[in-house]
Amino acid sequence: MSFIITCPICGPRNAYEFGFGGEDKGPRPDEEALSPGDWCDYVHMNQCVAGVAREWWIHRSGCGVWFTTSRDTTRNLEVQVETMEKGPNPPLEKE
Amino acid sequence: MNRINPLETFRIRPSQKVSIRYGRKSYQGVAGDTIATLLYANGVRIFSRSLKYHRPRGLYSLDGECSNTMMQVNDMPNVRVENTPARDGMEVVAQNVAGKTADIDPMAFMDNLSFAMPAGFYYRTLHKPAKIWPLAIKNIRKAAGLGVMNPDFRMPGHFDEIYPTTDVCVIGGGPAGMTAALSAAEHGLRVILLENRPWLGGVFDYRPTAYEGDIPLYRRAWELAEKVETTPNIRSFTHTAVVGNYNDHLVTAFQRGDKTDPFDERYIEIRARSLVIATGCIERPLLFENNDRPGIMQVGCAHRLARTWGLLPGKRAVFSIGDDLGLEAAVDLADLGLEIACVADTRQDGQDESLTDALAQRDIPFYRGWMATEAHGGKRLKGVILGPVTGIRRQTFDCNLLVASAGQTPLTSLLSMRQVKLRYDHHTGFFLPDNPPDGIHPAGRMLGLQDSVEIEISGRLAGMAAAADCGINMDKEIETIKTRMDAFPGPVRGAKVVSAAVKGKKTFICFDEDTTLKNVDQAMAYGFDVPELIKRFTSAGTGPGQGGIPGHNLPLYVAQTQQSPDTEPRPTTVRAPLVPTLLATYAGSQHDMSKRTALHDSQEATGGKMERIGVWNRIRRFSEDVNARAEINNVRSNVGMLDASTLGKFRIHGPDALKALQRVYVSNMEKMIDGKIKYSAMCNEDGCIIDDGVVVKRGDNDYYFTTSTGRAGQTVEWIRFHTRYDGWNFNLVNLTDAYGVINLAGPNARKVLEKITAADVSNGAFPYIGYREFMIADSIPARAMRLGFVGELSYEFHVPASYMQALWDILEEAGQEFGVQNFGLEAQSTLRLEKGHLIIGSESEQRTTLHDVGLGFLWNRKPSAKTVGAVALEDTEKQKGRLKLVGIKMADAALPTPRDGSIIVDTKIRGYVCTARFSDTLNEPVGMVLVEDELSKIDTQFNIYEDDCNGRLITAKVADMPFYDPDGKRMKM
Ligand SMILES: [Zn+2]
Repeated sequence: MSFIITCPICGPRNAYEFGFGGEDKGPRPDEEALSPGDWCDYVHMNQCVAGVAREWWIHRSGCGVWFTTSRDTTRNLEVQVETMEKGPNPPLEKE
Repeated sequence: MNRINPLETFRIRPSQKVSIRYGRKSYQGVAGDTIATLLYANGVRIFSRSLKYHRPRGLYSLDGECSNTMMQVNDMPNVRVENTPARDGMEVVAQNVAGKTADIDPMAFMDNLSFAMPAGFYYRTLHKPAKIWPLAIKNIRKAAGLGVMNPDFRMPGHFDEIYPTTDVCVIGGGPAGMTAALSAAEHGLRVILLENRPWLGGVFDYRPTAYEGDIPLYRRAWELAEKVETTPNIRSFTHTAVVGNYNDHLVTAFQRGDKTDPFDERYIEIRARSLVIATGCIERPLLFENNDRPGIMQVGCAHRLARTWGLLPGKRAVFSIGDDLGLEAAVDLADLGLEIACVADTRQDGQDESLTDALAQRDIPFYRGWMATEAHGGKRLKGVILGPVTGIRRQTFDCNLLVASAGQTPLTSLLSMRQVKLRYDHHTGFFLPDNPPDGIHPAGRMLGLQDSVEIEISGRLAGMAAAADCGINMDKEIETIKTRMDAFPGPVRGAKVVSAAVKGKKTFICFDEDTTLKNVDQAMAYGFDVPELIKRFTSAGTGPGQGGIPGHNLPLYVAQTQQSPDTEPRPTTVRAPLVPTLLATYAGSQHDMSKRTALHDSQEATGGKMERIGVWNRIRRFSEDVNARAEINNVRSNVGMLDASTLGKFRIHGPDALKALQRVYVSNMEKMIDGKIKYSAMCNEDGCIIDDGVVVKRGDNDYYFTTSTGRAGQTVEWIRFHTRYDGWNFNLVNLTDAYGVINLAGPNARKVLEKITAADVSNGAFPYIGYREFMIADSIPARAMRLGFVGELSYEFHVPASYMQALWDILEEAGQEFGVQNFGLEAQSTLRLEKGHLIIGSESEQRTTLHDVGLGFLWNRKPSAKTVGAVALEDTEKQKGRLKLVGIKMADAALPTPRDGSIIVDTKIRGYVCTARFSDTLNEPVGMVLVEDELSKIDTQFNIYEDDCNGRLITAKVADMPFYDPDGKRMKM
């Protein structure tokens, strides 16, 4: 956790001021017709990409905001991604 | 020993005496001595005994690269005395010896048994039968090892910590580092400079060789150091060891305090925008038989002993070196009075001719392509055999000092830590960085440079590149200086010789771990083919020196021995901390940060026994009685007061506040009635209960709610996380510290309250589960809740923290006639247990759902709210085989009270005791257990196994809760 994360409110700060909130999987699914398996996938399954992942972080020891940012998981560094590409990671491929 | 006549390069003040004790004797030195130089001045040559073979070891590098000079100082083991300043009154004791000094060691016979201990000996031999290992390890540990740790030792001193940020961080305070710092600072950037030695100067510091013109190098170092120290935007830290280098240029280091500093050591963590790494070189040890004898030292060690501390390192010396710094030292030391028998250089050619001429002028025999092959003598060096690097001709020289070095090796650890690939460079013989990542700029001698001016210019260039990283346009300057660099010779050819042609039985590649070349050969014979594995098998480089001594030689030796043309030497991995660091330094000054309630001091003064619970200090009880029986009885029969300030307290308001509450609370929060408390719970996504508390509605879209003490810190984050996609408009305020809470509980509670408020607090006007806001004593605005956690008539007053002490005093005074007394957590725990009220975390665990603890009635299905945990609750509500929370009594009231035992049925564990207490009120033990659902019916009997029950299981039976006042009349009175 030595790298730098950019808080949308406070700017670049030490990563250890932040808390990890998991991958950006999009909003909570509707409960109607939701199977327990699909729910479990939404909550617990992750893509764990070796590369750039879109993630939720909280500025825990700072302003307390939740925000998403991109991180290169192979180098453990925050990376700037074009606005076009922002947004949640695509859902898991089902086999 | 007498010091030589004062030189300009001295870092000692001979007029100021320092005295320390070593063994049973007192030794005199001078201000500026390290412990090692002080002892050396007094004739001490053996500083330690080696790990395995108890061989005598002496001064070798003076920069702390091996464990040779680790001693116990003032009861602290493993102090590197070679770079620890001597202070008056220090008590120094040798380590790993039976006596107090290292001169005599009854274990020295171990050296003769080394043949019996090949590489990996213990692991390969002492495992069959398995029983032998514990016995063996005990004896091995007794015979081997470094310092002894005394469990009663308490670390004295002050340990500070600082976290500076900077534009450019320069590591290394030698010529390259200093010029880099100055060049970055010229552009107005903030610069931090870190230097391991107590002064700036690096390789220039002690050398009289001429810089440009006539000024000696050491004067040039002074010039640079003065510039650095007077440049306001450079902050330099000396006597500071860098221990780590991490992503985005986070550098960790620690500084040893000087006498005038307010700290003994301080942890430094630097965040920089750009890094210059100018850590220079250390010497690569020369490998030959008995290369570890006291009296054998590296070039820099010998040279600095004389130039910095005024100590001629020996009487008659032989030099076996591999670079020009070795020749320079020989000439200078000869001029300072050292008798030099001869100088052998592993290189056939390439020497600076002015240096070889200088040796000839002084009639010192010079042997090209020669090196030391074996040293004679035991505790003292007696002589050395020299021979050609390639041949077998040999010649013996008498001497008591052998200055031995294979050449230079760069300190690249800080690059390796950043995953910089190091490539073996055949010209320099160095592992050099391949394309350092953005923002990291190596400079100086570590690149193989030797020319003094060129070293400085490379520093300038690195400083400029760092300035460019910080957004300054440096293109032109960088172009100009690169052209200037071209005029210089560039990296010099390095000496390649690794080892003398020896069998290597006593040729130590690693002093710390007593690893010999023969051990390495054995490892290779077993099939270990890469240095990384050989390192582990032979433990070379795993000692306190962290590979400083074998770091370069091991891969070179392995590559050379394997004799495969495609085998490029590969360095082993380095890891933080690069230098052993005191735990006290990492711990820093703030070991234990905790919170105190507003009543902390007055509660403690009344005899409260304070305990650390989570982040808070809380009162466990107010008497010596661990069961707090008097406190319990007083709440049941009169009235008690509890400081409940640690409860989480929050305000949520705004148009979407209700939606947020609906998201996290399992109940339907729409159905809230003014003036009435709603009790509810929060679950996680798995339906497991994580918190319970109360909510009141104070106005339109304005709510006040409480959480358990343990959840207070995470609640805001939790609610914001679970609404993060919704963009709702609400505000959440953590009032936990701004408000305090006093719980007034007991049958006399109303009588006390009536005395201090004008509000109507009769049972009709303020009933059970009611919420009211009124003034106490006409001045304290209180939010009052009628709750019954302890099972009696009870009021919770939430007031601003600043009013807490006043309210406490008022209640105490008003309650005197009704027998009011303090009660603490222990009493509360028993009281609520008798009532069957649970504490989340105490009667629940990670996998316990809302239904498991019997709070399923709180749950309201409201799919549109997408309540956290609802989907899982739906799924688990009827699930079989879950652990359910039930009350228990003992089969016989006379049985002992269980603590935390397991429930055993048919020799299987079927659940466990969460909480149990002996209830004075009920005159029998009661408890709550989590037990498999099929055992959860009333009157089911089972046995409880307790840790120290000696096979006598306690028989318990499931009992109805609440145990006390099942109809709840007392809470509602
Ligand atoms: Zn922030």
